[in-house]
Amino acid sequence: MLWIALHLPLLSLESFAATLPQESGAQPLALTDGLKILSANATARALGVKPGLKRATALALASQLVLGQASAARDEQALVTVAHAALAFTPIVVMLEASGAVGAPPPHTVLLDVQGSRRYFGGLRQLVQRLHAVLAPLGHALHTGIAPTALGATVLARLQRQTYCADRAALHAALDPLPVWLIGPGREHWDALEGMGLRTLAELRRLPRGGLARRFGPAVLSELDRAYGDCPDPLEPISLPPSFESRLELFARADTTEQVLYGAGVLLARLVPWLSAQHAFVRRFTLVMQHEPRWRRDAQTPAATTLDVALAEPSRDPAHLLVLLRERLAQVELPAPTIELRLHAEDIVRRPPPNDELFPTARSESEGLTRLIERLQARLGPGQVQRIAAVADHRPERATVVHVQEATQHWSVRAFAGVQPEQNPATPVRPVWLLQQPQPLRERASGPLLDGQPLQLLSGPERIESGWWDAALAERDYYIAQLADGALVWVYRARLPLAAPSQGWFLQGRFG
Amino acid sequence: MDLVPAAVSAPLSPPPAAVGSAPPRDTPRRPVPAPETLHPTLWLGHQLARHADVAVPSGFKMLDAQLPGGGWPRRALTELLLPHAGVGEIRLLCASLVATQKAGRLVMLFDPPSALSAHALAQLGFDVEQLLIVNTRTRVIPGTDSLWALEQALKSGHVGAVLAWLPPRLQPERLRRLQLAAHNHDGPAFVLRETSAAQRPTSAPLRLALRPGGADVLAVRVLKRRGPPLEAPLQLELPPVLSSMALQRARIGPSAGLPAAANASSLALHTATFINLAAAG
Repeated sequence: MLWIALHLPLLSLESFAATLPQESGAQPLALTDGLKILSANATARALGVKPGLKRATALALASQLVLGQASAARDEQALVTVAHAALAFTPIVVMLEASGAVGAPPPHTVLLDVQGSRRYFGGLRQLVQRLHAVLAPLGHALHTGIAPTALGATVLARLQRQTYCADRAALHAALDPLPVWLIGPGREHWDALEGMGLRTLAELRRLPRGGLARRFGPAVLSELDRAYGDCPDPLEPISLPPSFESRLELFARADTTEQVLYGAGVLLARLVPWLSAQHAFVRRFTLVMQHEPRWRRDAQTPAATTLDVALAEPSRDPAHLLVLLRERLAQVELPAPTIELRLHAEDIVRRPPPNDELFPTARSESEGLTRLIERLQARLGPGQVQRIAAVADHRPERATVVHVQEATQHWSVRAFAGVQPEQNPATPVRPVWLLQQPQPLRERASGPLLDGQPLQLLSGPERIESGWWDAALAERDYYIAQLADGALVWVYRARLPLAAPSQGWFLQGRFG
Repeated sequence: MDLVPAAVSAPLSPPPAAVGSAPPRDTPRRPVPAPETLHPTLWLGHQLARHADVAVPSGFKMLDAQLPGGGWPRRALTELLLPHAGVGEIRLLCASLVATQKAGRLVMLFDPPSALSAHALAQLGFDVEQLLIVNTRTRVIPGTDSLWALEQALKSGHVGAVLAWLPPRLQPERLRRLQLAAHNHDGPAFVLRETSAAQRPTSAPLRLALRPGGADVLAVRVLKRRGPPLEAPLQLELPPVLSSMALQRARIGPSAGLPAAANASSLALHTATFINLAAAG
């Protein structure tokens, strides 16, 4: 067995920084428990803010310091994202739980058993490089420890940036000089141990086991044995949840679309590892924006705004999902500022990833067209992208039906189904442009007038009498007429008795 | 590669050792090759340019002879100026658009001026179900969104041909943006505008003014092209809508209109006189 332990020493700070709006990139940040500073980022430490200082002292040293409180739930969500990203490398991923000891810091460690994956990824070095590449977009600082035992790797990761122990002997040699407080119970009893002159793990191991257990409890011995590999250490791997739910509570209320989009980007960055771990693509996801209660104008203002985004082509590209979300958000008017964002995704489809081709082929073109149509619909609104179809009805205004291209319809180019234009004089010709409402024309000397010019009737009449079965009865004689400048138009004379002054001439279409 | 050999630049004064000998002769120059033989995109002012890509044939031999490259240009805008919709523009473009559809690529229409008749398009040879129509004018901000949608379609590079009706009085820099976006678009891109736009310069490399030149005849004036200016308008015979009998009647003139319709009484109910089109051919 070979375990990789990923320790995130600055997880609380990083998960706090994710809730801030984007413009606070290089601001000094610090976490506090109300009275004292617990941790500070590099910018704050450069200004002199150190863990252990009082809050007032820290604010005096750095006036733009942003203070926040550590939240276990927020850290847990960020750690779960790292675990999901690690699931792409091995099915055995363990999130170490807090040991429950008093004063022990939360472990913030993800363990992977990669013995079975070494060969697939082409060696341990390649695997670790790919792991770091996948985790780089999440933006966490990582310590990596690689050892034959899980707890040994954890201990190594806690202290050093990157350590590799190939076998048990190397592990023993690496663990021996390490200080005692690296294992959980050792931290508890650190004062007592130091008083006895026991500083390193090697010294602890040399002591008689019975006495050690009686003095400090069996937990010390069991952890030592598990770390050195003398005793088996069964761990429960995590399992992927069936649906994705993630929350982000924003530090400052979000008034603009850009701030909401930045938070949504953080949530989408958590969705992508969950999808990659099960080789799936998302088809529909929902973003819920919770509004601040005291900014809602009245009780009718909804407490949350829901945005449902459906994709024609399932995707897990965070850039594409963010573009769609941006277009949809641009059309939504938020009634109040947002303080919390929630992302929910359940509708996924599992299939192998599409091949990236060097030259455009029909399949990549149809995928590109689907994405283009999705973007156009997201920006212009539903119902603006249309297709037409011919209907067998003699009445010209009903012979064409307009279909709206649905957001979830996939675009595919099928075989050409057009017919060669045959010069058959029996089929009636139709004009390309039809007016929505036929325009009434005045009459002079029994001939229609358009814009004051008399029309020359060239061909016709073609009688269309249809529609007795519904209310739109049409009894018309159609003529092709020529304008003064030579363009051709399609006019008709209605045969039903009409009220004066209309003589019954109407313009129906133009030949384009 | 330098076209002129370096030995042509002779020294201004002969060297002192050569005093008394014959003055140096001018080296005979190599003939300068014509620029159009060097690279396909080079051309002289009196020639028609050629295109790096194969141009899309327009279906009209007379027009193809006058267009640079022998057809509609790819990766560039083609501007068509019309007095009003319905002069025969769709019949002019249908050959190239149907060829694009036959090649399996998408044809998109942006903001058509009025409703389309599916039967008429099917008669011209289109596959009506594979046309995509994008309407952008119903949004609150006119003008901006229609150009955004067109720009996205051109930039994506997956669309086969684009036919767009632009809003009137467009700023020249908006058209320049569209022309830049069209560099990604492998196919013809037609933009249709009003005739008064001819007074303003354009960044599209090809500009045609269309006018009806009679029944089923389109008069095309080439206003701008990569080549010498064309003075006389071209009279193109469009795919006919009228029967030959009706065409004759059109040529004769308005004085010989349909006798039955001209003398029809103004009673509420009319009986129409049928003209046997099959007999007239």
